[in-house]
Amino acid sequence: MNRGMNNPWSIVAVSALLYGTLAVATGLIPGITLSASKPTPGLQPLTAQEARGRDIYVGEGCAYCHSQVVRPLQQDLVFGRPSVAGDYAYATPELLSDHRNGPDLTNIGNRQPSAAWQYIHLWDPRALVSQSIMPRYTWLFKAQPHAEPADVVVAVPPGFGPPSGVVIATRQAQDLVAYLEALRQVPLKAQR
Amino acid sequence: MRPRFDRDAIDRDDSALFSAFTISATFWLLLTTAVGLLLSFKFPYPDLATSPFLSFGRLRAIHTNGTFFAWASVALTGAAIYVAARTSGVPVVGKRLAWASLVCYNVAAVAGTITLDLGMNYGDQEYREWIWPVRLVFLAAVALGGLTVVQTVAHRVEETIYISNWYTIGGFVFTVILGVVAILPWYQHGLGQVAVQGFYMHNAVGMWFTFLALGLIYYALPKLLNRPIYSYALGILGFWTNLLFYPVIGAHHFEFTPLPWWFQTLAIVFSVGMLVPVFAGTANFALTMRGGAEAIRRSYALPFIVVGIFYYFAGSSQGTIEAFRSLQNIWHFTNFTIGHSHATMYGFITFIAWGAIYALLPRATGNEPNGPATRIHFLFATVGVTAYVVMLSIGGTLQGLDWATGGPFIASVETAAPYWVARAVAGSMMFLAHVIFAYNVYLMTRARGRAAPEAPAT
Repeated sequence: MNRGMNNPWSIVAVSALLYGTLAVATGLIPGITLSASKPTPGLQPLTAQEARGRDIYVGEGCAYCHSQVVRPLQQDLVFGRPSVAGDYAYATPELLSDHRNGPDLTNIGNRQPSAAWQYIHLWDPRALVSQSIMPRYTWLFKAQPHAEPADVVVAVPPGFGPPSGVVIATRQAQDLVAYLEALRQVPLKAQR
Repeated sequence: MRPRFDRDAIDRDDSALFSAFTISATFWLLLTTAVGLLLSFKFPYPDLATSPFLSFGRLRAIHTNGTFFAWASVALTGAAIYVAARTSGVPVVGKRLAWASLVCYNVAAVAGTITLDLGMNYGDQEYREWIWPVRLVFLAAVALGGLTVVQTVAHRVEETIYISNWYTIGGFVFTVILGVVAILPWYQHGLGQVAVQGFYMHNAVGMWFTFLALGLIYYALPKLLNRPIYSYALGILGFWTNLLFYPVIGAHHFEFTPLPWWFQTLAIVFSVGMLVPVFAGTANFALTMRGGAEAIRRSYALPFIVVGIFYYFAGSSQGTIEAFRSLQNIWHFTNFTIGHSHATMYGFITFIAWGAIYALLPRATGNEPNGPATRIHFLFATVGVTAYVVMLSIGGTLQGLDWATGGPFIASVETAAPYWVARAVAGSMMFLAHVIFAYNVYLMTRARGRAAPEAPAT
């Protein structure tokens, strides 16, 4: 079996040929084919602000606790309708995720449409859900003595804010919340 | 027969190389598992260390990429190069390439850690979060390490290529190809990237770490037991079947997603196929160890290898079972997965790296580790990882059952909470074991106390 394999370069060549073929068949070709999935009818690409928000979502590692895929299983239907290929047409990098330390966010824009809620929750999740283990994202906010007219003020409940002054959402927080608000599943039309 | 080379001079250079890889790997083990420990305490104490640079979302990728690519990859590469030289009966050929490999590994690890901490990553996609220039440097490290092994084996004085080097060379070749496939951006969009991610994340584990670790077992086990491996043919069977079955199974990470149903089914079928190389390898190792209980009891290194083989078998079989749809239904998205990844990357890969280092480094440097310290390292790491895996397996199952029976999401968080506390305790034991290991690495690699060179054979 191995008599022809006494040259290590033969092992290199055969390994590369076999694995290269398998990589093309099970990595490259599925990648190319599925990348061409047509968008679900009615699905809109993200706006510039929402796309910036998505970058923050990625950079802060939100996907290590929040998935963005609804499976056709009873326990997932609370998060929305089952996901279909076209839902991901504009979603690069993909954020399906393997983890649900927190709930799925596929349809969070519909399930929690309040931006005010999202700001408070990002500032301190435990201000809204006492048992939550989500980190605080305080660096997306700044505390100021007074709010300026253009500022987005966070309605922090008593006891969860700074000793004095107000909490203002930075542009990053506004971008992130704009992205979360944009996470809305489009309804599927009945097949003819 | 008179040796063809100055054994002492050669061993000095080879052992310096092996020592450097081991010291570097140990540094990253300490750093990245300290990070892991902090992460584990953030579950019971979410307001612990709230700086963005110490936040869960940024540190998690630093923990996983660091343990994978700066600890395990470097430790295994160093040992694999050393084994390639010993099984070939020559000194390491192309030492400059090997040193360059070590430099590249560390450049990638430093740059990768810093950029991740600044919030720069590749889409939270597990084990390829490092931005592409960093992964390119890592790829260079793998290629240089592989080239060193191939060159060394090409200059061997033995007739056949020892089975260890099959696995090692395979692992390097697969990983270079895998790295290129993962890095090319032009064909990865939306769901297409999901397919590539499934392929990548699983192959990064099973075509890299598994192959290098198995290669080390095939050398260290017979060496320590002073008997030949039970079956060379079983080893070759394991090599080819792992190569043929493994690449297909990645999609089992995305069951019930919009990935084509047949593609998911194929992944599940091949996950069952993986039992062939796993059973072949485990049986081969078990039969080699048969009747060796006394040797295992006396050795410092063998217990690590025995635990590593156990977790290779248990973790891999668990992976097959996990792939079934009926069980993914419950276990997917839960912390059961985190338990599984520690059973394999820690119970299997890390224990084999330790076993190989304890087996080979003292022979290379002439310095022994501290005996009792090694026993404590073994005890803490074994108890720690076992508690870790058991606790997250139970906690993860309960999480999944909570979801399946309805109720608010937060109930599953409350259910898992005590198991997360237990995991943090287990993680603390594991980290203590790493500190003891680092002390032993210091003892084994320090320049003083070097044993006198062996009398030349005449």
